[in-house]
Amino acid sequence: MKPAPFEYHRPGTLDEALVLMAARAGEARPLAGGQSLIPAMNFRLARPAALVDLNRVAELAYVRPADGGLRIGAMARQRVVERSPLVQRAAPLLAEAMPFIAHPQIRNRGTVGGSLAHADPAAELPAVMLALDARLEARSRSGTRTIPASAFFTGLFGTALMPDELLVEIALPPLPPGSGTAFVEVARRHGDYALVGAAVVVTLDERGRCRDARIALLSVGGGPVLAAEAMKLCVGESPSDEMIRAAAETAATRDIDPPSDIHASAAYRRRLAAVLTRRALARGVERAGKG
Amino acid sequence: MIVQGTFTFAGPRATVWELLQNPDVLVKALPGAKRLVRAGEDRYEGLMQVGVGPVTAAEFAVTVSLRDKVPPERYTMEVDSKGTLGFTRGGARVELEALADGVTLMRYTAELQVGGKIASVGQRLLDQVAKLMTRQALDALNNELRARLAGGGSP
Repeated sequence: MKPAPFEYHRPGTLDEALVLMAARAGEARPLAGGQSLIPAMNFRLARPAALVDLNRVAELAYVRPADGGLRIGAMARQRVVERSPLVQRAAPLLAEAMPFIAHPQIRNRGTVGGSLAHADPAAELPAVMLALDARLEARSRSGTRTIPASAFFTGLFGTALMPDELLVEIALPPLPPGSGTAFVEVARRHGDYALVGAAVVVTLDERGRCRDARIALLSVGGGPVLAAEAMKLCVGESPSDEMIRAAAETAATRDIDPPSDIHASAAYRRRLAAVLTRRALARGVERAGKG
Repeated sequence: MIVQGTFTFAGPRATVWELLQNPDVLVKALPGAKRLVRAGEDRYEGLMQVGVGPVTAAEFAVTVSLRDKVPPERYTMEVDSKGTLGFTRGGARVELEALADGVTLMRYTAELQVGGKIASVGQRLLDQVAKLMTRQALDALNNELRARLAGGGSP
């Protein structure tokens, strides 16, 4: 298993990388942690004419606080984010989701930006970013754009990135006061692709009523799915078992159109989506009450 | 793998039928189709380039045969494709129903076998890819239909 021949570029700075992406727009693929692209190339499923290796672009590897939220460089390794006390404090949902991504060896190399730009429908990070309402910054030689997570993911492996653009930073807004978050997923074995997963942010007001609920599901469609109908059902309600149950059923029956494969039928995925949404909401509400 | 669904075309059944039998229209509507030519009565041969996510330009030689034609109501399609990354084999049943307001309802059921590397590596994604490509093809056909009805036709 060897890849087809390709040109290899290893820029040392972001500017150099952007020049290369512009010069070979549509032919060059950026190489981040290589945990999906390299196997695809070795299987000869992917045959990019050129790779622009971002691993020496040190300016893209950081996690830093910003206005109560976080800014994460696209080349920050998943393992670094997983272990960051800063992430645990400012974005506990992200911290909770990280260990579900494959295995430690893969997270040592895999990057946050790489996973988001790859946009696998079963990936954890796209759903987390959708639940957190993250803003993704894309840059090319002609400028910088900020794309909300809800517009970034456009379907099966689809993103809003143009062929000459690189995802450079992910900005997470601060969690509103009274928020609780939860991430749950089911896979056949730990580290396998998730059959279904749910990322939830619940925000309660002073009287304990639900001010806002964001529910993002993964592995139930072409990309991460925001369970919009279920979210609407929660707003303004006092969180109760009935509300949580109704929202979970709505998410599973009205918000998604899950696929079938040899591991799980569409009907089974729907069932899982209801159960996982219920668990995640219940946990989110409980944590919001304590926070 | 079974792919089934319905789609509403914004035009009369006879025109929809004609578009569905026209290789020059189909080659533009089918995602990744590079070539599609008539190779006999109700038989077409072509080349498709499929690219989804990390898979770039997987090439397939495709043969399509039409059977059991009842114009303009229904037909069945037999599809056979081979490429370096795998193969697909199977058939699809297509039914067209004229609705009252001049639009046409299509019902389709396809049963496909996918094998080779593309199936062993991409199994979990086949359903999504099939849905996506079907949707893109039907939307493109519907746009072509609208263009024809508007008098523009296609060059």
